[in-house]
Amino acid sequence: MARPAVRVGLGLGMSGRNASGGARLQRVLALVPWILEHPGVSVAELAERFEVDATELERDLELLPMCGLPPYTADRLIDVYVGDDGAVSIRLAEYFERPLRLTPAEGVALVAAGRALLAVPGSDRSGPLATALAKLEEAVGATGGLAVQVDAADHLDRLREAAARGDQIEIDYYSSARDEMTTRVVDPIRVFHALGAWYLGAWCHRAQDGRLFRIDRVRAVRPTGERVEVREGASGGDDADLVYRPAPDDLRVRLRLAPEAAWVAESIPVEERTERARGRVDVVIAVSGRAFLERLLLSLGPAAEVLGPPEAEAIRAEAARRVLAHYAEARRP
Amino acid sequence: MSERLERLVNLTATLLDTRRPLSLDELAERLEPSYPEDKSARRRAFERDKETMRELGIPVSVETIDGLGGEAGYRIHPDAYYLPELGLSVDELAALHVAITAVPLEGADARAGLRKLGGAQGAGVPQLAHLEVAPALPDCFDAVARRRVLDFEYRGDIRRLEPYGVVHKFGHWYVVGRDLDRDAPRAFRVDRIDGAPVSGAPSAFEPPPDTDPARYVRDDPLSYGEEAPVTATVLVLATRAALVVDQLGSDAVVERRDDGSVIVSLEVVNREAFRTWLLELLEHAQVLTPVELRDEVIEWLVRQSASASGSA
Repeated sequence: MARPAVRVGLGLGMSGRNASGGARLQRVLALVPWILEHPGVSVAELAERFEVDATELERDLELLPMCGLPPYTADRLIDVYVGDDGAVSIRLAEYFERPLRLTPAEGVALVAAGRALLAVPGSDRSGPLATALAKLEEAVGATGGLAVQVDAADHLDRLREAAARGDQIEIDYYSSARDEMTTRVVDPIRVFHALGAWYLGAWCHRAQDGRLFRIDRVRAVRPTGERVEVREGASGGDDADLVYRPAPDDLRVRLRLAPEAAWVAESIPVEERTERARGRVDVVIAVSGRAFLERLLLSLGPAAEVLGPPEAEAIRAEAARRVLAHYAEARRP
Repeated sequence: MSERLERLVNLTATLLDTRRPLSLDELAERLEPSYPEDKSARRRAFERDKETMRELGIPVSVETIDGLGGEAGYRIHPDAYYLPELGLSVDELAALHVAITAVPLEGADARAGLRKLGGAQGAGVPQLAHLEVAPALPDCFDAVARRRVLDFEYRGDIRRLEPYGVVHKFGHWYVVGRDLDRDAPRAFRVDRIDGAPVSGAPSAFEPPPDTDPARYVRDDPLSYGEEAPVTATVLVLATRAALVVDQLGSDAVVERRDDGSVIVSLEVVNREAFRTWLLELLEHAQVLTPVELRDEVIEWLVRQSASASGSA
C-alpha cells in the first residue's frame, strides 16, 4: 500500500505530451470512478479499456495516493491498492465516485457516430447500439435532437457484397471531372460512406492504380467471373482522393472570388489563398478536368474573375457558347 | 508538471467536496502542492488551473461569498459535475465502441467521451464512414440538448434560432429550428456559421411535440430560400437522363422521349442553387419553362460567352 506521509514529487508524468496536464487529468477523472465501481480490475484490463500503455497507467496509479483532500493526512488521501496479481482497488475517493459529465463535443461525437452507423442500410435498428443511443441521448437531454441521414445508393448492396467476397466486376461509371461515361474492370476492396456519399475503393485495371468511385455514379455492375487478386497493402484509392488530389501537370487557375463566392475556397482544395480588400479572396486551384472548370466558372459567373491564365477564360466562354447553342437550336414552340 | 497535475486533481476534489464556495485565499491555504506566495503569481496560477478545468468541462462555479465583502468564491456543484448513471450493458458499451471506430469523427472527442462511459469495451471495427465536424457543432448540439436560444452570424446576418436539432445530410451538418426574427422554420449549415455561436439561458423554449429535425432540412437544396417557389421544367438529354432521374426520382419525369431524353419538373425556390444544379449538367440539359427562368439562364450564359473578348 503506497501512502507517503510526506509529500514528495516523484517526477511523475514525464511524457510531456500535454503541457497543460489536461489530457491526463481527464483520464484520471474517468479512471478513478471505473476502479471504484469495479474493484479488483487488473492493470492490463485498465490499460486496454482506457487505451493507454501499462506504464503510463501505472504512473496514474502512483499519482493518486498523493492526492486527496486537505489536510492531506492518511485518512484524507486516496488509497490505492495494487495486489501481487495486478488487481487494483481504490478507497477514500468518494467525491470521484461518478465520472465527469460529457462535454458537448464528446456527446455530439458519440451520438453522431452511433446515429450514423445505425443509419447505414442493413444495420440492426433495435440492437444494443440503438438502446445505448437512447440511454445516452436521454442522459444528455438530446433525445431525437440529432439525426444522420445515410442514403442508400442503387448498387450499394452488390458492391458491398463484391468487396466482401472478393468478386471482380466491370462497372459503367460516370466520371464527373471529365464529364464522360466509362467502362472499367475493377477489383473491389472496400465500400464506405464519406462526405454524404458512398464510395467504392478498388483497384482499377484501366488506370492500373487504386481509385475511389462514387457509388451514385456507378451506372451498372457486371461480374466478370474472376476472383480478385490480392494486392499487398492495396487500399483501393487514397482517402485523400475523397477530395481531389492535384497532379503536378494539372492546369492551375488563379481566380478572384467575390465575397458571395468566397465559400469556394472552403469547399474545393486551393493551393494558394490570399485575402483581398472588401471580402474578396484570390485563390489558385488545380483543375482535374476541363468539365470541372467549366462547371465551376459557369456556376459562379461574375463572382469568379479569372486572373489567369487566359486559357481558363477561353474555356469558360467556349463552354457558355456550347450550352447556349442548345438553347438556340431548341427554341420553345 | 506532475505537481501541477497533482494540484489539479486536489483542486477538483476540494471544490467537489466543499459545501460552500471557497475563496482563493482559503484554497491557497489548504491546497497542496501549494500556490505561489506572491499574490499576483498565485492568481495567475489559479486562473490557469481553472481554465484547464473548464476546457475539460469541469463546471467550476464562481459565487459571491456572504460576509466577505462580496469576495469571489469557487466550488463545483456535484450535480453539475457527475455524469448521470446511464445503466449501459456490456453489449451496449461495446456497440458504442464499434460505432466510434466505424465512424470516427474527425477532430472530435468520441474516445474521451467513451472513457467516461466505461472505456473501450471489446474490439473496434474497420472504418465504414467518415463524418467531418464543424467547429460550431458542439455548441449547436449543446443548445439543442439544453433548449438554449442560439445567436450566430451567418453569411453576414445575425440569426436567432430556437434550435430543435442537428442533422447531417448531403455531407453537411445543419442546425434546424425556429428562426425567431422570421418566425419560421429554418435550417442553417453549421460549417457556414461565422465564429462561435452564443447560447442563451437553458430551458428557454420547448420544441413542438414530435419534432423530426431531419424534416427541416429539405431533401432538395433548390427549395431553400425566401422567394416564391416556381415549377421549372428541364430537358435532359439521353446522355445524362438516367443520372438525373436517379437523383430526382422517377416522379419528377413528365415526359420520356424516343431519343432517350427526358423532361423533368422540379420546384425551385433558390434560383442560384437551381442554376448551379442545371449548369452542372453543362450542355446535357436546358431549362424549358418558365420563360423568365429560361431567359435568366440564357442571359447568365451570354454574359460569360462574351467575357473572353470583353476583357480584351
